[in-house]
Amino acid sequence: MSIQLSRPPAARPPASRPPAGPPLARPALPAIRRVPWTLLVFLLLLPLPWIGSRYNTFLGTEIVIDALFAVSLNLLLGTTGLVSFGHVAYFGIGAYVCGILMKTYGVSFAIAFPAAGLGAAAFSVVFGYFCVRLTKIYFAMLTLAFSQIIWAVCFKWNAVTGGDQGIADVPFPNMHWMAAIPGAEQLSENGRFYLLTLTLVALSVAAIGQITRSPFGRMLTAIRDNRERAAFIGLNVRAYELAVFVVAGGFAGLSGALYGIFTRGVFPDYVFWPKSAEVMIMTILGGMSFFWGPPVGALVLVWLNQEITNYTQYWPFVLGTMLLVLLFALPGGVLGGIARLAGALQRRVARRDA
Amino acid sequence: MTVSLIAAQFLSGLTTAMFLFLIASGLSLVFGVMRVLNFAHGSFYMIGAYMTWQVMQWLQPAGASFWLAALAAGATVALLGGVVERLLLRHLYGQEELYQLLFTYALVLILGDAAKYIWGTGQLSVHRPPVLDGGFHLLGTTLPFYNLFIMLVGPAIAIGGGLLLSRSSAGRLLRAAAYDREMLGALGGNVGMLYTGMFVVSSFLAGLAGALITPIVSVVPGMDVQVIVQAFIVVVIGGLGSFWGTFWGAVIYGLTLSFGILAFPEFSLFSVFALMAVVLMVRPWGLFGRPIR
Amino acid sequence: MRFRHILAATVFGFVLPVAALAKEPIKIGFPIPLSGPTAVYGVPVLKGAELAVADINAAGGVLGRKLVLLSRDSKANPAEAVRLARELIVRNGVEFLAGTLTSAEAPAVSTIAKENHIVFVAPSAKTYELTDPQSIHPYIFRAASNTTIEGQAGAIVMARWKDVKTVATIAPDYAYGHDAIAAFVAKLKQLRPDITIVDQQWPRLGQSNFTPFITAQMSKHPDAVYCDEFAGDFISFVKQAAPLGYFKAIHNRLADGGEVGSVDETIALGSSFPLGIWTDTYDPVVWDGPNQPPAEIAFDKKVEKELHTKYGSSWAIQGYVTIESIADGIRKAGTVNDAAVAKAMLGMTYQTPLGPRTFSATNHDADAGEYWGKMVKVAAYPFAVIKDPTYYNPEPAAH
Repeated sequence: MSIQLSRPPAARPPASRPPAGPPLARPALPAIRRVPWTLLVFLLLLPLPWIGSRYNTFLGTEIVIDALFAVSLNLLLGTTGLVSFGHVAYFGIGAYVCGILMKTYGVSFAIAFPAAGLGAAAFSVVFGYFCVRLTKIYFAMLTLAFSQIIWAVCFKWNAVTGGDQGIADVPFPNMHWMAAIPGAEQLSENGRFYLLTLTLVALSVAAIGQITRSPFGRMLTAIRDNRERAAFIGLNVRAYELAVFVVAGGFAGLSGALYGIFTRGVFPDYVFWPKSAEVMIMTILGGMSFFWGPPVGALVLVWLNQEITNYTQYWPFVLGTMLLVLLFALPGGVLGGIARLAGALQRRVARRDA
Repeated sequence: MTVSLIAAQFLSGLTTAMFLFLIASGLSLVFGVMRVLNFAHGSFYMIGAYMTWQVMQWLQPAGASFWLAALAAGATVALLGGVVERLLLRHLYGQEELYQLLFTYALVLILGDAAKYIWGTGQLSVHRPPVLDGGFHLLGTTLPFYNLFIMLVGPAIAIGGGLLLSRSSAGRLLRAAAYDREMLGALGGNVGMLYTGMFVVSSFLAGLAGALITPIVSVVPGMDVQVIVQAFIVVVIGGLGSFWGTFWGAVIYGLTLSFGILAFPEFSLFSVFALMAVVLMVRPWGLFGRPIR
Repeated sequence: MRFRHILAATVFGFVLPVAALAKEPIKIGFPIPLSGPTAVYGVPVLKGAELAVADINAAGGVLGRKLVLLSRDSKANPAEAVRLARELIVRNGVEFLAGTLTSAEAPAVSTIAKENHIVFVAPSAKTYELTDPQSIHPYIFRAASNTTIEGQAGAIVMARWKDVKTVATIAPDYAYGHDAIAAFVAKLKQLRPDITIVDQQWPRLGQSNFTPFITAQMSKHPDAVYCDEFAGDFISFVKQAAPLGYFKAIHNRLADGGEVGSVDETIALGSSFPLGIWTDTYDPVVWDGPNQPPAEIAFDKKVEKELHTKYGSSWAIQGYVTIESIADGIRKAGTVNDAAVAKAMLGMTYQTPLGPRTFSATNHDADAGEYWGKMVKVAAYPFAVIKDPTYYNPEPAAH
C-alpha cells in the first residue's frame, strides 16, 4: 500500500547543504541529522541498571526491545510505504527459533541469536516474494495471512513449539563474561541482560539508520513517494521492496529473540495479529516519518501502559482513545507534534528578526 | 467415510458458513463501496450479541422475545454505526487508508472495553427460541432446526441483497460508487449519504449476525477479535466488495474447516489461512471480485 | 534528664522499626483470569483467596503481620501472566505468588518464581509438566489436583460401565488436555483392556465453534466419551452438542474431569446441563447424598455470605486453601524468607474444609483428589447437582 502523506515528510536533505533562502514551514533541521543520535541514546540509557530500580531496568529492557521491533516495521511503513499487518510473524519466528535452540537444544545465545535473525529473514524472503507482487490492501492482507499461518503452526505443532502453552523457562544467555566489564560484576542477571540487549539493539538501530541514509534507503523513499514514477525511472521496485522486506524481517526476528529471553518464554501470542497492531500503533504514535519516531512511540506506549494499568483495568479503552486523538489531532505522532512546535517557534523567531 | 459422516460435516460446515456470511457480508459491502476495511465489524457483531442478551433480560416474561431482541440488537448496532460514521469516520476519508484502518482498530479497543464495562466479564447465555427447538434426522445425522433456520437466512439475505443491488435505484448508486465514486459525486449522487447508509446497513447486518449466534455460543469478551479474522478470510476468498463472492467464500471456509477436522485435524487451523494466502497469491481480488483501482 | 532522653531514644530506636515492620503487611501476588471463557472459574478462585486473607487477618494475621492480596487479570494468557507476575514481584514487592488458572499460565509463571526466588502455589493448574522432573524447583507448589489423578479417576469411573466397548475423547489442545487424556487412556487400558479408543478430538482452548468436532466424533459412534472441556468452553460445547443429539447418542455416558460439576458451571448452564453425565468438582456445595463433611458445610455457608449468592461457589475452596497453605508455610518456617518457607512446605500437611492435604516432598504436588458423581436433577434446585459425591484419589501420596 503506497502511502500518500498529506504533508511533505520531514526530508532527509542530501549531504549537509542547508536549504537556501528563509526557512520553510518544514521542521527539518540539517544540523540535527549530523548528531550521532544512536550513540548518544545508547550512552544515555547505559547507566540504568546502576542508577535505576530493578523495575525500571525491566521496563527499560522491554522498551528497548520494542523499539527495535518498531524501527524494523518503520523500514517498511515509513521509509518504503509498505503497510504490513503481518510483521509480527518475523518477530515470532525469531522468538521461537532462539527459544527452541536455547531451551530444547541447549545452544548458546551467541549462535541462537543470529540464527533467529537469519531464520526470520529466510521466512521473509519466501513470504516477501509473494507479498511484493501485490499492492495496497492485498499486500496488507497477504502479510496478515502469512503471519496467521505462522501462528497456526506455532499453535498446533506441540512437539516443537509447545503448542498453546508455548515453551516456558527459556534460559538467560551465559553472561558470566560480563564480570570482566568494570562495574558489571555486582549487577543481577536482569541488569546484565539489559546491557546486552541495549548493546545489540543499539548496533541494530545504527545499522538500520545506515541503511535508511544510504542510496538504497533513498530509493526506498522514492518508491514510497510514488511507486509508479519509481518504476518509470527504471527502478526494479519489486526487488527493492523484497530487499527491505527481508531486512525488516531479519531485524524483527532479532527483537523477537530478545523478547523471548526477556519474558523467559515463547508463546503463540507473540504471533497473534493484535501484536502487529500494537507495534504499528507504537510506530505511528512516535511519528512514522521520523527515524526516531518508533522508539519514542515504544517508550511512550510501554510507559503509559504500565502507569495506566495501575489505576484501571480499562487500558484498551485508553489506548483506543489515544489512537483517536492521534489520528484526528496529531497525525504526525509525538515527534511530528514536537517538530511542528519547533517549526512554529522557528517562524516566530524569524519573524521577530525580520 | 459414511454418507452420514459426510452429511454431518457438510451440514455443520454450512452452518458455520452461513454465520460467517452474515457477519462478513457487511464487511464486504463497506469495503466494496467505501474502500475501508472495518476492523470494528467484529465489535459490532459482539455488541449485537450483548444487546440481544440484554433485551431478552428486559423482556423476560414475553414469548417472542428472541426475535424482538435480535431486531432490536440489529437496530441498535445500526444506529451506533451511523453515529460513528457521521461523526468520526467521514473526517478521515481524505486521508490515507492506513489511518482509516487504525481508526477502526481504535474502535475495536474502545467498544471492547465498553462492553466489558457494561456487561462484565462473565459468560452470558441466551436460550434458543422455543419455536426452533429440536431437530430432525437427515441422511443419518441430526440437523437442529435452528441451524436449518440459519442455513436459510444466509441465502435469503444473499439473494435479497443481490436483488436489491441489481434492481433498485439505491443498488445502482451503490454499484456506481463501488466502480467510480468520484464520477458519481460529479454526476450529483449524494456520496456522503450513500456512505452513511452503507455503513448503517453493514452495521445492522453485523448486529443481526451477533444476535443470531447467541443461542449457539456463549457471549463473552474476546468474541470480537476471534471473529474478525475469520470474516477477513471469507471476504478475501470471495472477493472484496462482492456480495455473492462473500457468500461462496463463506461456504468454502466453512466446508474447509469442517472437512479439515476430519481429513487433516492437525492442519485444520492452518488450512483456512493457507487458503487465504493461496487466493491472494493466485487471484488477489478473490473469486468474484474485481481488481480495485 | 539526659539519660532519660537517651533511654527514650534507644527504646524508640528499637521499638519503632520493629513496630513498623509488624505493621507491614505480607503481600501476595495473585494473577488469575478475570475475563474470558475461563473467568467463570477464575473469579471465584480469587474470591476464595480473598476470603482466606480476611479470615487470617481477623485471627491476627501471620507472625503478627496482616496479609494483603494483589490480584490482576491474566486473561488466561501465559505471556500476560508472566508480565503481571514480574510486575507484582519487582514493582509491587510481593513476597509470595499464588494464582493462575490454566495449565498454560502456571508453568510460565513458575519460571518467574524460580528466577526471583518467590514461593508460588498454583490453585488449579493440573498439568503434569508443572512439577515434572525437568521443571521442578524449590519454589513451586501445587494445591490443585493433577492430570494423573484426574485421568485415572475418570478411567476408574468409566471402567465400571460394563457395556462400553468403544470410547472417544475430546479435550482442549494444550498441556492440560493432552496430559489428562494420556493418563486416562493409560489407566483405562490397564483396567479394561477390551476397550478401544475410536476417536480423539482436540479443539482449541477458547474455541467457540465446536460443531465440526462434535459431528466428526459422532460419526465414529463411540459408546462413551471422556471429555475435558471446562468452564466457558464446556458451556458452548453443550449448547452445540445437545441439539445435534450428541448426548443422546452416547446415552449420556460421558465423564468430564474439568470440574463441570461445580455450581458455578451448573448454574451458568441451568436447564441446558446434560443430565446423567459423570463429572467432578473440588467442592460439591450442593450435596445430594450422605456423609457431607460438616467442615465443608460451614465453609460453604461462609462463601455464600461472602459472595452474596445463594449457592456460593465450588471453586472458592481452591483459592482459600492456597492462601491457607502459604500462611501455614510461613508459620512453620517462622519467617517470610521464601527459601525457608519453601523448605518448610516440603511434605507439609495443611488443613482444608474437605480434609488434610500434603505437599509431596518430591514433586511438591498436593495429594488432592476430587469429588466425582453423576449429575442429576433434584426438585429442590433449579440446576443439576452431583448425586452421592465420592472422593476419588487414585494416587494418595505416601507421607
